Amino acid sequence: MTKVASSLLTDIGGCVLFFKDIMRTLIRKPCRRVDFFDQVWKVTVQSVSTTGMAGFFVGAIMTVQFALQMKEFGALGFLGGLATSATVREVGPLLIAFMLSGKVGAFTSAELGTMRVTEQIDAIRCLGADPLQEMILPRFLGIVVSSFFLLTLGLIMSIFGGMIMGAAFAGVNFEEYLRHIPTIVTLPSVLNGIVKCFVFALVLATICTYKGFTATGGAKGVGQAVVKTAVSTMVCIVIFDWLTSFLSDITVRVVLGAQ
Amino acid sequence: MIEFKNLVKTFGTRTVLKGVSFAIAQGEILFILGTSGTGKSVLLKNLVGLMRPDGGEIWIDGEETSRFSEDEYLRVRRKVGMVFQQPALFDSFTVFDNIAFGLRRLEKLPEDQIRERVREALGAVHLAGVEEKYPPQLSYGMQKRVSLARTVALRPQVLLFDEPTTGLDPVTTTAVNQLIQELSRKLKTTSIVVSHDMNCALSIADRILVLDQGQIVDQGTPGELKKSQVPLVRDFLAEVLA
Ligand SMILES: Nc1ncnc2c1ncn2[C@@H]1O[C@H](COP(=O)(O)OP(=O)(O)OP(=O)(O)O)[C@@H](O)[C@H]1O
Ligand SMILES: [Mg+2]
Repeated sequence: MTKVASSLLTDIGGCVLFFKDIMRTLIRKPCRRVDFFDQVWKVTVQSVSTTGMAGFFVGAIMTVQFALQMKEFGALGFLGGLATSATVREVGPLLIAFMLSGKVGAFTSAELGTMRVTEQIDAIRCLGADPLQEMILPRFLGIVVSSFFLLTLGLIMSIFGGMIMGAAFAGVNFEEYLRHIPTIVTLPSVLNGIVKCFVFALVLATICTYKGFTATGGAKGVGQAVVKTAVSTMVCIVIFDWLTSFLSDITVRVVLGAQ
Repeated sequence: MIEFKNLVKTFGTRTVLKGVSFAIAQGEILFILGTSGTGKSVLLKNLVGLMRPDGGEIWIDGEETSRFSEDEYLRVRRKVGMVFQQPALFDSFTVFDNIAFGLRRLEKLPEDQIRERVREALGAVHLAGVEEKYPPQLSYGMQKRVSLARTVALRPQVLLFDEPTTGLDPVTTTAVNQLIQELSRKLKTTSIVVSHDMNCALSIADRILVLDQGQIVDQGTPGELKKSQVPLVRDFLAEVLA
């Protein structure tokens, strides 16, 4: 029990220190632009189809769920607004994070883990380069930046999915579905979604690069790193969801209230 | 001049290097022999700062380096090149870019000189014409030679070879050994070679060091070692004499 707790604490500590190192590298010696754009492109392309598809069905599911209840109150006019709002605030960011963790997170930790156990990372250092700057930073930033593209895409697809489902299932036509989106999906909701997406991406990017970078023990070690990445990102994302849910709400209120 | 003084390296509760001390002079070829897992690779990695010792000192040209910062180690790595036990090539780069990697960063050479150096290094390991191939397209032995070329191209004053000929055919093994000898003779390169191959140790080493369970159990010139009474050394020799 104490062993588990101490290894968990070492893990968290290691992750935090690693994040600090990445930030310091970002400020002191940023990576080359080509490497950064290359990674953004790779991550986006890798996940574009799954995210788009998942977004579409989430929109459809939310619409069906809301439609069942709203029909009774005769409030179907608000269907599109409510479904979209829920997606923007909560389901969208969470979904993008899970998608990215399954695909890009696992890929990144396997890639970096392989580089570690085959001494490539040692070789990079010996040849006068900084692996944090050349390997970790572009991948880290790639995940964070492309998660915004993917969030946007997921949202657009979810509106499509919702529109189609709303028309088929609840008889709400497209125009009606879209009408209340601008009134219900307010700026705070959107900011809330963006903040969450950003936080989740940071968590995911830190964990998967950290686990890959610190893998030991051959092919088996890489496998373990990938599994650990998957498990810890899922758990951490849910924890950070809970944290940001009220933290971002408070911040957004304070910021808007101060204006 | 490189000197290890009472070097200790621990992983968790296991002490891998238990106080290793030796020195090596410029231009010398030192072979390190030892069974698997005695800490030979760990010893070399400590010298270039990929691992830090838990005790003892490492002196390179009059400087104690083991407490250097990562930036200060750049200076050491310009002087001391390491060839890893695994090929450790970058899979997404061509052979040319692999070899040019260090030349661009450590040496900051202009591109035409880099091309020249790459060609020369590949020639030295008998691998002309593979510049545009990617590492996964090459056999293990070829990858190992590219990796050798990548470090040799930097022309460091000190070269560390971690089992450079393991997995190579006899012909290429001879070529690699000749290359090590040539570098020592022509450029006065100091070489530390980790190897299991007693045969080539006896033929090209100036001095041989035998490591067992993190300690030096014997050392001397090939001639001296042939007369050694240490059981492990006799075991190594038995294979050659047979
Ligand atoms: N990063 C590390 N973390 C924990 N233990 C390690 C690490 N690197 C090496 N070791 C341990 O140190 C010991 C010595 O390893 P090393 O790689 O130096 O052996 P070696 O003498 O090079 O053997 P071989 O001939 O098989 O390459 C091994 O038992 C290994 O398990
Ligand atoms: Mg080794």
